[in-house]
Amino acid sequence: MANEDNLDVIVICGSLRKGSYNAALARMLPKLAPAAMKLRAAPPFDTMPFYNFDIQNTAGFPAEATAFADAIRAADGVIIVSPEYNWSMPGTLKNAIDWVSRMQDQPFEDKPVALQSAARGAMGGARMQYHLRQSLLSLDAVLFGRPEIIVTFAPKKFDEKTLELTDQPTIDIVTQQLTAFDRFIRRVNGKA
Amino acid sequence: MADLNVISICGSLRKGSFNRMVMNGLPGLAPAGMSIKEAPPFDAFPLYNADIQNSTGFPAPVNTLADAIRAADGVIFVTPEYNFSLPGGLKNALDWVSRLQNQPFVAKPIAIQSASPGPVGGARVQYDLRKMMCFLDALTLNKPEIFVGSVATRVDEKTGELKDETTRNLIKQQLESFAKFIARHGGKG
Repeated sequence: MANEDNLDVIVICGSLRKGSYNAALARMLPKLAPAAMKLRAAPPFDTMPFYNFDIQNTAGFPAEATAFADAIRAADGVIIVSPEYNWSMPGTLKNAIDWVSRMQDQPFEDKPVALQSAARGAMGGARMQYHLRQSLLSLDAVLFGRPEIIVTFAPKKFDEKTLELTDQPTIDIVTQQLTAFDRFIRRVNGKA
Repeated sequence: MADLNVISICGSLRKGSFNRMVMNGLPGLAPAGMSIKEAPPFDAFPLYNADIQNSTGFPAPVNTLADAIRAADGVIFVTPEYNFSLPGGLKNALDWVSRLQNQPFVAKPIAIQSASPGPVGGARVQYDLRKMMCFLDALTLNKPEIFVGSVATRVDEKTGELKDETTRNLIKQQLESFAKFIARHGGKG
């Protein structure tokens, strides 16, 4: 880290489609984060093969999985912004987690992680978040609690054309989460 | 009872998978009249992306798997647990087929099995998969549950055969229950 007071946080988006509300939410975060929290997008996971121990055992970890893991290790914290598919996390995101979970120096261990989700419906992806919490628990991540960011009825909260987050209560609570996550990272990483 | 055409889906892709060994043993443990064949593979599905679906449509292997599920009287999942949940590869397959018109799991009888080297035998993956099947309106068999813990001691690692008699009997019971379950709920009475 260039500046000891700054926090380097990476953002992982669980959706691959261009017009994703979750990607739109992830793009908003740098604007809403406290000044000392520097956010950047995690390296992509969209060309990782499906996890197969035979690949790991013969060709080793795919370069993309290693790059993804390195970015997580190097970061002070991770924010995962993801849609819910079939009451759980996207298989694509789970596949990325499955790959890095098999590495020596497993990157999520002791890593502060905050979650956000957006969805068209009234549940806002809540079930995905509790499922993801369970998987990250197995990886010994340090999960941020409240406030939770569960963006319901997403089409009403983003500008239809620019996909900018326009809903003020959502902007406020995301700002609160990022401020609280900044404090959380400093506390659990001994950076206070 | 009418003949039952059941397909099995293995959640692991590696060749020496313990779950695959368990799955390969199923036809020999099934009651008379139940055939169990492996479902078409999901390992060539792309990672789910609605942009693909909207531009080029559903990939051919997705349709093939979905057609096989629709045509089957029941589906048996045999899967490992990765990080307290489903393998991402298997979840990706479910994500793809869940987006199809005439979603194939609707009212489909489902049974679940898992094997792992540890003592818990993959219980957590099963409860997660049950929840997803609930969302997809499948009909999931309740009991008996098949958690093959300490699986390395229950198979012949060279031949891949499931040797453990207790496990074999429990699987037989599940398959018998599944046949009744399909007959009762699957419109095959």
